[in-house]
Amino acid sequence: MANTSVKNIFLVFLKIGAFAFGGVYSMLAFFERELVTKKKWLTHDEFAESVVMGQLTPGAPIVNTGLFIGYTLNKLKGALATVVGQVLPSFILVLIISYLYIKYQDIALLNAVLKGVGAAVVGLIASVVYNMSRKLLKEYKSIFIAIAAFLCLAVFKLNPIGLIVGAGVVGLLVFGGEQQNGNT
Amino acid sequence: MEILKFLWTIFYINLFTIGGGYVMIPLLQREVVHHYHWLSNKQFIDSIAIGQVTPGPLTIMNAFIGYKVFGVWGAIGAVVSTYLPSLIVVTIVSHYYLKFKNSWIVKAVFKGIRPAVIGLLAAVAITLGRASLADIPTSLIAAGGFAILVFTKVEPTFVILGAGVAGAILF
Repeated sequence: MANTSVKNIFLVFLKIGAFAFGGVYSMLAFFERELVTKKKWLTHDEFAESVVMGQLTPGAPIVNTGLFIGYTLNKLKGALATVVGQVLPSFILVLIISYLYIKYQDIALLNAVLKGVGAAVVGLIASVVYNMSRKLLKEYKSIFIAIAAFLCLAVFKLNPIGLIVGAGVVGLLVFGGEQQNGNT
Repeated sequence: MEILKFLWTIFYINLFTIGGGYVMIPLLQREVVHHYHWLSNKQFIDSIAIGQVTPGPLTIMNAFIGYKVFGVWGAIGAVVSTYLPSLIVVTIVSHYYLKFKNSWIVKAVFKGIRPAVIGLLAAVAITLGRASLADIPTSLIAAGGFAILVFTKVEPTFVILGAGVAGAILF
């Protein structure tokens, strides 16, 4: 997946940055659709890794996921292309909204739009879960980890970072032997 | 200079918080509203709403705060201070990750983490669902969005734009 040109990386992230309304999780759905399904720059495995990297590093996770993808595709230049592309459209939009806000001090229509978008994001993120499950959950151990992780977060309200670290330890214990023997 | 204090505040909050925009909000509020009095509490809440309506990361709300307090240069400075820490840290982490990703330890660890990410996203869908699926129309929008994305090749862009238009008409 190396050596994708800086210009192509920038353009894809510009597109994602311009259209991924609905926050961070909507953006993840865009990443999956654009980078994995359409462009095939990443596999679903690598996509999952980039999500993890975004969660474990400080700052905005979605920007960090983008930076990690950019760096794997084209080192520092690739990383820069992702952050500029991702942020530029919303930055310009924020400038326009800020100007209007200071003039009129009202954002009521925005709230109605937000309500519709918020609902669609739930469907979007569910579609990512569906696609990733079909690709990644091929053996019963992985299915078990996915269900356990879901329960830890949804029922027991565990911290996501604690969860990732815990899953890593489980991975080392469960898959350590087979990886050491050279199976994949 | 006041603007340097502002840029430094944004920079260190982004450097030291793991977990994203929603984790930063209390820290940001303490500094921006209670400590330096750059914004009133209502203006701060509006800045969160603006971060949510614009595409992309919530932390772009820092640009609004910068603009409100210091004008265009405040906005530009805020964006740089927000994303520079990420650029530095992620570049370093990625470098070492790519170097060691083929070692058996990293492979085994990630084989455990990848399915956990699916569980994590599923839990996110549930949490978001509880917050935003208040009635039948919103539930239909979510179910429709899911079906369109899984069973057709329609881009998420159109799903989001369509849902926004539906929201403006229905609510």
